[in-house]
Amino acid sequence: MKDFFKGSSFKVLAIAVVVLLGLAAFTATAGGAFVAGLLGFVSAPMQSIATDVTGNMTEFLDLESYSKEDLQALVEQLQQERSALAQQLVDYEEKKRENEQLKQQLAIAQLEPENEMRSASVIGRDPNEVFAGFSIDKGSLSGVSEGDPVITSQGLVGVVSQVYATSSMVTCLLSEDLQVAAVSIDREESGVITSDIMTASAGLLRLNYLSSETKLEKGDIITTSGAGGAYPANIIIGEVQSVEKSENDISKYAVVKPYEDLAHVKDVQVIVSFPGKGEEAPVRPEGEEDPAKEDGE
Amino acid sequence: MRDFNRVIRCLAYTLELLVLFMLQETPGLLPPIYGVRPVLLLPAVIAIALFEEEIPAMAFGIVGGLFCDFGLAGALGFHGAALAVLCFFISLQSRSVMQVNLATALITGAWSIGLTVCAQWFFLYYFTYSMPEYAFTHHYLPKYFYTMLFVPLLYLLNKALYQALRPAT
Repeated sequence: MKDFFKGSSFKVLAIAVVVLLGLAAFTATAGGAFVAGLLGFVSAPMQSIATDVTGNMTEFLDLESYSKEDLQALVEQLQQERSALAQQLVDYEEKKRENEQLKQQLAIAQLEPENEMRSASVIGRDPNEVFAGFSIDKGSLSGVSEGDPVITSQGLVGVVSQVYATSSMVTCLLSEDLQVAAVSIDREESGVITSDIMTASAGLLRLNYLSSETKLEKGDIITTSGAGGAYPANIIIGEVQSVEKSENDISKYAVVKPYEDLAHVKDVQVIVSFPGKGEEAPVRPEGEEDPAKEDGE
Repeated sequence: MRDFNRVIRCLAYTLELLVLFMLQETPGLLPPIYGVRPVLLLPAVIAIALFEEEIPAMAFGIVGGLFCDFGLAGALGFHGAALAVLCFFISLQSRSVMQVNLATALITGAWSIGLTVCAQWFFLYYFTYSMPEYAFTHHYLPKYFYTMLFVPLLYLLNKALYQALRPAT
């Protein structure tokens, strides 16, 4: 045993462990973006390809569950589609018009034209990630930066937590790390959206810090309030499922069900810029109306 | 020829770890069971350590560990250090005190993956988040058992690789 500790193998192990622990300490404190960025630069394109291949394979394997009649119908349908697509390819203007239609379907961009967004695809979900975080195929080269909100047409999904050159890591709304100032548009009551492992595993969120006399009810829509400048205001989060009494004090909390399936989201939009980003919400004197609200009326 | 085989084997292991990293990260590829998916890199580096000498085993433990760290977007080095130590001692154990076969691979996988998953829970979850008991029983334990399912498969894969490219005697 004494010889073992004096051996060169053990010395190499000791040096490797010290270096790795130093690296861990460095990346935990200073960020270590270079090393992670380097790994991301290599792995992001491959992850993107793997995700595409998986999507195509899943579609292909699903054919096994089809009967002969289903497959015939499918072939006929595909032939019709092929004819239609061929026509569209010939007619460039037709394709252009269809493209415009697709753009119109992207309701988020129309609803919030002042927000600058980047489309991204989910390329990775780590099995060690407890709170459904994921990586996307857009990074700093696409203008994405740390803290950018990530949304879909169904509402808020998370926030960019780490940015590499060609990919980024997104902390999901289900994470305990994330706290979002939220408001009920129906009742004008505000709170903070959080989560824990128990609610996260059920795909739910908590709207904390409601008063004991809260009027929130099942079905009320919860959106971001925009306070703090971290998220744009009025992004949908979900709807109230139930209102419960807090375990720790006399306040209440609402269980919120997101409209989006946060654990299985595939395509997202990153809001890289929005009005009021990083600005604290102005504090209005008591009794003064919200000017935005007045405008709306 | 001996060195050439060794180089090819090392390249094959590196490629294997890269492919397994892609597979475990790709959304929708491995079906979740109880909401968790397996960590394929853990049984892979353990299987490699069963056949290789201490230093190469440790090196592949570091590579696999750094991949895990990168995927998790946490501090780079935690899994690297943990798997370096584990693979070093697994290699030492397999070369001095036990025969390498499927049964010993399963036993080694059971304790070493268990140790890694417990370390993840203790260092990455316990001090940071709430409800650690719930997290252990509903995330880490199912992940451990799901990952264990891949030990025989990756043991046989790496055994075939080692035998095909073994050092000439």
